[in-house]
Amino acid sequence: MASALKTYGTLIGFILVVVFFWIEIPDTFMTAKNWLNISQQVSMLAVVAFTMTIVMVMGDFDLSVGSMASLAGIVAALAFHDGYGVEIGVALALIIGLAGGLLNGVLVAYVGILPFVATLGTLTIYSGLAFLVSGGKTIFGRDIPPAFSGFARSGIPLSDTVSLPSLTLVAALVLLAVWFVLEQTTFGRRLYAIGGNKEAARLAGIRVKRLRFFAFGLSGLGAATAGLMYASRVASANPTQGSGLMLDAIAAVFLGMTMSDEGEPHVLATLVGVLILGVLGNGLTQMSIDSYVREVLIGSIIVLAVAASSIGKARG
Amino acid sequence: MTLLSIRDLDKSFAGARALSGASLEVRAGEVHALMGENGAGKSTLIKVLAGVVKPDAGGIEIDGAPISIASPADALRLGLRFIHQELSVVPHLSVAENIFLGRDYPRRWRFMIDWEGLNRAAAAVLAGLGVSHINPARKMARLTVGDQMLVKIAAAFQDASIGGGVPARLYVMDEPTAALSAEESQRLFAVIRRLRAHGAGIIYVSHRLDEVMELADRLTVLRDGATVATRDIAGLQKLEVIELMIGRRFAEGYPPRLAPVANEMALSVQHLSTGYLQDVSFEVHKGEILGLAGLEGAGQSEVIRAIVGADGGHDGAISLAGRPVKIDEPVSAWAKGLAFLPRERRQEGLVASASIAGNVSLPHLDDLVRFGLVLDRAAETEQAVGLGRQVKLKAKGPRQKVRELSGGNQQKVVFARVIAGKPEVLLLDEPTRGVDVGARYDIHALLRELTAEGKTVVLASSDLPELVYMADRVIVFRDGKVATTVSTEGLDQAALAALCFGTPTAPSA
Ligand SMILES: Nc1ncnc2c1ncn2[C@@H]1O[C@H](COP(=O)(O)OP(=O)(O)OP(=O)(O)O)[C@@H](O)[C@H]1O
Ligand SMILES: [Mg+2]
Repeated sequence: MASALKTYGTLIGFILVVVFFWIEIPDTFMTAKNWLNISQQVSMLAVVAFTMTIVMVMGDFDLSVGSMASLAGIVAALAFHDGYGVEIGVALALIIGLAGGLLNGVLVAYVGILPFVATLGTLTIYSGLAFLVSGGKTIFGRDIPPAFSGFARSGIPLSDTVSLPSLTLVAALVLLAVWFVLEQTTFGRRLYAIGGNKEAARLAGIRVKRLRFFAFGLSGLGAATAGLMYASRVASANPTQGSGLMLDAIAAVFLGMTMSDEGEPHVLATLVGVLILGVLGNGLTQMSIDSYVREVLIGSIIVLAVAASSIGKARG
Repeated sequence: MTLLSIRDLDKSFAGARALSGASLEVRAGEVHALMGENGAGKSTLIKVLAGVVKPDAGGIEIDGAPISIASPADALRLGLRFIHQELSVVPHLSVAENIFLGRDYPRRWRFMIDWEGLNRAAAAVLAGLGVSHINPARKMARLTVGDQMLVKIAAAFQDASIGGGVPARLYVMDEPTAALSAEESQRLFAVIRRLRAHGAGIIYVSHRLDEVMELADRLTVLRDGATVATRDIAGLQKLEVIELMIGRRFAEGYPPRLAPVANEMALSVQHLSTGYLQDVSFEVHKGEILGLAGLEGAGQSEVIRAIVGADGGHDGAISLAGRPVKIDEPVSAWAKGLAFLPRERRQEGLVASASIAGNVSLPHLDDLVRFGLVLDRAAETEQAVGLGRQVKLKAKGPRQKVRELSGGNQQKVVFARVIAGKPEVLLLDEPTRGVDVGARYDIHALLRELTAEGKTVVLASSDLPELVYMADRVIVFRDGKVATTVSTEGLDQAALAALCFGTPTAPSA
């Protein structure tokens, strides 16, 4: 019983939160429309959290994802502004994301800077770059091609009234990809080994540096993807629009980690973390709870969940 | 006079019984050995006593009064001191702080810590153990594991060496000599005898029978979590102890050589130098077991680590089967058919959070893929099951977490990993550390089989009989240099020990 609570506590908490809103907001909360809405609202956070999971599996962090998301949005918007097509803009943004992530990888894996410090540095650099290339302005209106902004409004119709948003679909695909990489491939297995014991992994013939390098690349790529999704959704790009993503993504992974008895991140658990944050945000907004109160509540819930699980695991 | 009495302890971990009816009585002024196969429950019993593990049933009495130990602090207050099998040190604190962790530091003006006083006190505690080469101000992380063990021992002994505080009544040591050299072990024994003379009780766990027969007054044997016997050491034969432990007759010994050494070169090391090693050269033939001996840190481990590229670059040339190879990372060593078993299973060997199968497969993942990148779990499991059987692993199944295994069983996992990839050359650094007599024999027999198939073994060990009986030749290291190379033909343990110490009376071969 106690051990079940340890493992499933977070999941039970999630269900309680859902039940609470179901009771409090009986008319709108538990509807297909609202859930599809939530899925779209959290899709960007989800993508960042899923790829963040890849680096956190190795015991690392990537603090630069938020500013990378902003930078990627800006890069795409500037490309559109200069008359390039949607494909080119998107490709450019993704390349920037991958390159920025790999730069983090170089700093962490090859130069040997602590991930916290290295990505704190690049956080500032990417954010500065986003301001620099955009001139600090929001790029919007005619600069953004309708084909690009239309993507976020499109979806696959499920019935006469609801459809599966394209952004949700993107997040689901990223989830599937990350799950496959982490849980099914030797690459993922090696990442978990690095997270468990770097030195033992290295001595057992794992290329720790190279794998850390690549993993940070994937995190950068995920951040850029989220940045593009965001830009498409709001049909504009500004140099700070991704900044909220980083903390929420790390929080989502931590919430997920409370569900594993080894305290290892797993991407399906991260999904639960993302949904908790998403549902809380959605429900509290519908109940018209002030956004500052909302932040206090969400923060407290994260701390409580993590504390409860570490107390539960302290003694055998 | 009975000091401690443990009665009918039961403990299950998620349905698996670790203790079922374990009892133990320790008198004041005796060294009481706690014996048993790997996974018999020795460490679990000790953890119960230390307040680390909560028993499901059973009682503990001290001086005839029932007590409950709910936390390590309780145990400390009751005068119990522990040296656990799994070293837990605080790496970024100093040696002195590790020794006095959780106790009152000496003060200056009441609230400032007297660092010099602390270091002096720590030095005194270490001196009580006959240890003078460890600087108390040094960071714990920078010590060798053997030295860290000495510091942990010192921490357990601190109030025995200096006055003040509650004198400890019972010392509990779980394989304290596993990471110690012969010399350090002897010093520890001297301290243990002194404590015994002062009336303390000592519970002592070791898989080294000779050591136990030499040191202990009585022994209690656990089998599958239950106490099977308590005996006086006087008049007891080693054979009887082994029989009590494994439940059948079994002569301690070494499996015979199965085939002669081939004339073909397997591994050649020429003029190998690193920051520490100086101009080390040797050759090993197919089917040969080459022993590496020497005092702690004389170069045995360093040679093995240098060959597999564990510490980056080195000078000198290495060739495999006559072909020169360049290895500057462990990954290339594994790829070239070298298998490496590092000295410290917990720090360097195992991913404790991963499963048995996941640990065994780690260097061999490329052989376990389908479609180029998908891990073939079924094949991985199969590999672990087969090897687990060969090394007599005691576990719930191939997917059990390594963290949950007993120390000796963890060691068997590291060994299984080494033989998993059918390597040409095995580089083994203390492969049988913490492994019980039966499993040790099995590991030795496996090495014999491998060499009979033409595989090559380089075996660094502080266990001199292991070298004398298993190796064909032994290289003795001193201060990072090859001091001498001897054939084990007619060599005995004492002669090898003399060579390690470099004493002038050493016979040469
Ligand atoms: N935390 C745990 N979870 C699950 N099983 C455990 C745990 N700790 C110990 N066990 C199991 O309990 C049994 C006894 O383990 P213990 O460590 O006491 O053995 P031991 O006698 O000290 O062996 P060794 O000589 O190898 O150190 C083993 O089968 C082990 O797998
Ligand atoms: Mg043990």
